[in-house]
Amino acid sequence: MRTKYRLGVDAGGTFTDFVLADNTGNVRLYKALSTPDDPTKAIKNGLDLIAEDLLASPRDIVSGCDLCINGTTVGLNALIQHKGVKTGLICTSGHEDSIEIRLGHKEDGYRYDAEYPPAVMLVPRYLRAAIRERILSTGKTQTPLHEEDVRAACDLFIKEGVQAVAISFVWSVLNPDHERRAAEIVREMMPDVFLTVGGELYPQVREYTRTSTAITNAYLGPILKKYVKSIDHYFAELGAKYPVRYFQSNGGLAIGQAMSDRSVYAINSGPASAPQAGLYVANPFDKKDVITVDMGGTSFDITLTKDGVTNLNKNIDFLRYRIGVPMIQVETLGAGGGSIGWIDEMGLLQVGPQSAGADPGPACYGQGGAEPTVTDANVILGYVNPTALLGGRMSLDKQKAYDAVKARIADPLDLSVERAAYGMFTIVNNNMVNGIRRVSVERGYDPRDFVLVAAGGAGAAHITALATEMGVDTVLVPKLASGLCAFGQIISDVKYNYMASAPLRLEGVAAYDRLNSLYKEIEGQGVQHLEADGFERDRIDITRSVDMRYVGQVHECTVEIGNFEISEDTVDKVKNAFHGRHEQLYTYSEPHNAVEVVNIESTLYGRVDKPQPPRLGGGGNAEAAIMLRRPMIFSADGSAIEGPVYNGGMLGAGDEIPGPAVIEEETTTIVIEPGWHAKLHESGSYVLRRDA
Amino acid sequence: MSRKVDPITLSVVRGVLETTQREMTVALEKTARSSVFNLAHDYSNAIFNHTPEMIMQGQDIPIHLGSLIPAMKCVAGYFGDDIHPGDVILHNDPAYMGSHMIDTCMYKPVYYNDELVFWTVCKGHLTDIGGPVPAGYNPDAKELYAEGLRIPPVKIFDKGVKRYDVMNLILTNLRARRDQEGDFNAQLGAVQVGERNLIALLDKYGIDVVRACIDELMAMADRQMRSLMRSVPDGVYVGKAIVEDAGHGLGDMEITGTVTIKDDTCHIDIVSPPQVPYFINSYEGNSYSGVYLGVMMFAQLPPPYNEGLYRCVSVDMGPKGTLCNAKEPAPHMNCTTTPMETLADAVRLAFEQAAPEHVSASWGHANGCNIAGWDTRHDEEYVTMVLASIISGAGATPLQDGWHACGPECCFGALTSGDVELLEYSYPIIIHRYGLMTDSGGAGKFRGGSGTCWEVEPLDKPMTFITFGEGRRIPAMGAAGATSKLVESKVGRIEISRGGEVEIVKKNIIETIEPGERAANMNPGGGGYGEAFERPVDKVVWDVKNGLVSLEGARGDYGVVILDPESLEVDTAATSALRTQPAAAE
Repeated sequence: MRTKYRLGVDAGGTFTDFVLADNTGNVRLYKALSTPDDPTKAIKNGLDLIAEDLLASPRDIVSGCDLCINGTTVGLNALIQHKGVKTGLICTSGHEDSIEIRLGHKEDGYRYDAEYPPAVMLVPRYLRAAIRERILSTGKTQTPLHEEDVRAACDLFIKEGVQAVAISFVWSVLNPDHERRAAEIVREMMPDVFLTVGGELYPQVREYTRTSTAITNAYLGPILKKYVKSIDHYFAELGAKYPVRYFQSNGGLAIGQAMSDRSVYAINSGPASAPQAGLYVANPFDKKDVITVDMGGTSFDITLTKDGVTNLNKNIDFLRYRIGVPMIQVETLGAGGGSIGWIDEMGLLQVGPQSAGADPGPACYGQGGAEPTVTDANVILGYVNPTALLGGRMSLDKQKAYDAVKARIADPLDLSVERAAYGMFTIVNNNMVNGIRRVSVERGYDPRDFVLVAAGGAGAAHITALATEMGVDTVLVPKLASGLCAFGQIISDVKYNYMASAPLRLEGVAAYDRLNSLYKEIEGQGVQHLEADGFERDRIDITRSVDMRYVGQVHECTVEIGNFEISEDTVDKVKNAFHGRHEQLYTYSEPHNAVEVVNIESTLYGRVDKPQPPRLGGGGNAEAAIMLRRPMIFSADGSAIEGPVYNGGMLGAGDEIPGPAVIEEETTTIVIEPGWHAKLHESGSYVLRRDA
Repeated sequence: MSRKVDPITLSVVRGVLETTQREMTVALEKTARSSVFNLAHDYSNAIFNHTPEMIMQGQDIPIHLGSLIPAMKCVAGYFGDDIHPGDVILHNDPAYMGSHMIDTCMYKPVYYNDELVFWTVCKGHLTDIGGPVPAGYNPDAKELYAEGLRIPPVKIFDKGVKRYDVMNLILTNLRARRDQEGDFNAQLGAVQVGERNLIALLDKYGIDVVRACIDELMAMADRQMRSLMRSVPDGVYVGKAIVEDAGHGLGDMEITGTVTIKDDTCHIDIVSPPQVPYFINSYEGNSYSGVYLGVMMFAQLPPPYNEGLYRCVSVDMGPKGTLCNAKEPAPHMNCTTTPMETLADAVRLAFEQAAPEHVSASWGHANGCNIAGWDTRHDEEYVTMVLASIISGAGATPLQDGWHACGPECCFGALTSGDVELLEYSYPIIIHRYGLMTDSGGAGKFRGGSGTCWEVEPLDKPMTFITFGEGRRIPAMGAAGATSKLVESKVGRIEISRGGEVEIVKKNIIETIEPGERAANMNPGGGGYGEAFERPVDKVVWDVKNGLVSLEGARGDYGVVILDPESLEVDTAATSALRTQPAAAE
């Protein structure tokens, strides 16, 4: 970092987090209430907070930044509320219903549910224009493009006031001519419309996925475009040196133009920076296998990174819309501090996914909530200090927590309140463990090989219990846990994904040549894009992956490969990587069987300098940080033991704390179960380890 | 509770069982070759205890909802004491409670300290099971033997040692050997993943605690179903439904389901005609799926499911040798759709008499196709069932319109039909149309979902096109008084286009389709719910705007008169005249 500051602004549902790193290694965290109607208001409020704290003007801060980075939920909110723009689809005749047929499937969990509604269509049927044209699976043209159909579609769209158009033809990935010509006609007839071409946005096999992705992109594009314009303008006015970078759901940054052209990359960016932050936190300990768990008020987000590479989702349903482009795999559960405990129809104790939210919030907030929440349980268990939430700015009512758990859980199940509270703690932990299994075990990874990084305001209270349940030995809790995602954004690189479709059997020189030339082509485009963005060639890195399967299989398995020419000599490296991954995932491989490639992808990174890591001063007297002792419950029978409560602000590097204990930081509480101990590291993280 | 079980541990055990079942499913789906497995979800994974009772079934397909329960018991009983650690059993024979032969099932006993504790079970629809017709569906079969290879319970792993000879015997009798081998591997992966997780569960809690929890989970399911039955007035309720003549010339056949509710129990009697020399006979195992589907269309319970649900339900399938309780050697391949859907309809209809406000309309029945031929791209044969060709409309519910393209009834939304490009990549075909059909949803206050059309042309070589199912004359049954005037557009059919001529076919056929010719397989929509004339006019207009209902449909089915196809202006006077005097609509 050559300038004084780097600023990250991450808009969440309730709070907008501001992280300011300076060139001496200090990182400051600020929070302002989000203003969804005009996000620049929250940004202004946050900058005022920072300015006040640092005795400088907002202009001094912004102009002193090498980069200003923004994570936004504008696209996400528009998709959740179905408030995108009026969108039309131009598609191959006979296939205009693929987005409504949705492969003929109803989501699992609702099989016999008479109330579960169909997904809301982003493009209603009357705005899906059937075009006579057809490319075959061989790439040959069976029916040429009927341009008059495209013109008629534009006439309809103009009449209906359509603001965005998606074009998606069957097999356009093998022959883009028809899509390109149709795009020319649309641009000519509707010069101001926002246009997305399926084969350009997502050049991979799967018509339904491509069409759905293109539609979602078009539907959100104008919204993102308007947003980006206002933010860019706002920061430019304050003297920003470089264009604002926006955080994408692929885990990297993009400039505003890329963000509005490819708005679908913005939809789940919130938690997508957790892996970067997790790696950064784990780096001083030489760990590259990291699971991050971020527990806030309503949700629990999990990510997994192996050898420094994070799981990506492709071709998934997100908010019920099929999205093809890579998104950092984030498993989200309804498990947060506000999650409600309840007894189901069968008489079983459940926790979540319903949440008491911020209003009325947990019973112990005393705002009229009567439902027992995880936070209430944690108060009863002695983990959360009733008087010291948010650095003492808020106090909790333990009696209300007790009453809620008694009435709704303990009495119906004929348990003591303490046992019931511990039961809620256990069940929510179990839900979280099952969620962690979905990103680890289901993807062929053993969670015991990973370091857990706790994030979010509520995560650290559960972290040793989760680790115990999964057999994980090492946990890291950064002091900055509650703002970890915003921090992750300011240490991320610019990142663009380039894809191509290459359905072929991995046999013979012709196949290898085709793959080599495709990689060269897409990487050439990517380098050009990043250079135009101001990156020197030596700041650009490229990684490659390939989607493969055994001949006859339909689902592919994504395998990372090195940047080498594929040839007779090297092809076994590619195949063996696939066999190994298949065995890891599914307990077997078939090395004697033929392998085929479906899609390829190159990820291009524009490397950004990282801020200095923080350095904590030495401690030496942990005992002095003990504020009090109170009863804490760590056992299913509900019995309590006296445990010390530490003031984290008084601890220094090297200080050790044996469990059972609670450490209170300003925005989070760390619970150390018996059998665990914590040591504060100079990088600002607590290292929690199981006793030998 | 029989034994005191800690309620917290109970919730945890249930979570682990659900996760285990899920992980079995992921392993199967991601690795299988057959598009019927990996695109279409035509499989089921389940966990049984040692007795063996089904303790966990996931979200999978209703076709397999009930049949695994008797099949597991039959297979375990067949081997008796001769079951050992490391065994894996394969089976498909309907005479041993299998569903139809092409659904082949793998059973793995799970041992813990030399004690049999669980079975992990994986059942799935293969692409082919040998016999004279590719993909198994042979409308000309007069006996089971003409439909494929019967596999009685047989060990393919014996104490951990793979029986290559047995597998070779089986694979030698099936088409597309490479894919079949891959599919068996995928099934094996699934039962092994299940075993791995269950042993971890036992390591953690021990056999006694886990068993006590499972007993309690079954008891809870039992209590839940009993309380539902208790909510229905005691009485005898009868539902009758028709299996239509799909071209076999044996005439329509009636299935009667009589549901007797007494206190918290339910007894279901099935009456069906004698079995026929056509592939629509259902053996007992398969018929359980039909009956249980009818029960679930009433009960509408969320997952997870276990056998405890059915403790209060007793079933009499009628005498051996009847359509719904076939005996050897009756042909049966079509049974998972026909007559199973009609059987489910009969039971559903009986429950509708008992609890009309609670029961949704019937879904479109399956009538679909299998395709086979030679793939010149790779110089190899291909054969598959086309699940995209059976996607019908869902029935409307008391609360909303039926889902489009979500059926057929026997699958209830569990299928996925596969991407058009993936299908064209896997098979040498051109899919010209995969879309919703106008006027196909059953009329009602809540409209039935639309059915679909799947139209195909072979890429460069003749293709064998084999059809099955029914629902081409009798539309999906509405509920709460819903009926349609325009029947023809609500039922399925096959259209074959040759040299500018379109031939409409309403029976099961085996045809050769040449390049340049097209075959379209059309599926029925779902039944409506409530009086069609009560549907709000603006909803009808919106359906017309979106091409789901035609102008004729608006007038005929809904009594809504639209003056101008462009502006969609409604003739209010004519509409209210039609709607108040329904007879005048004719």
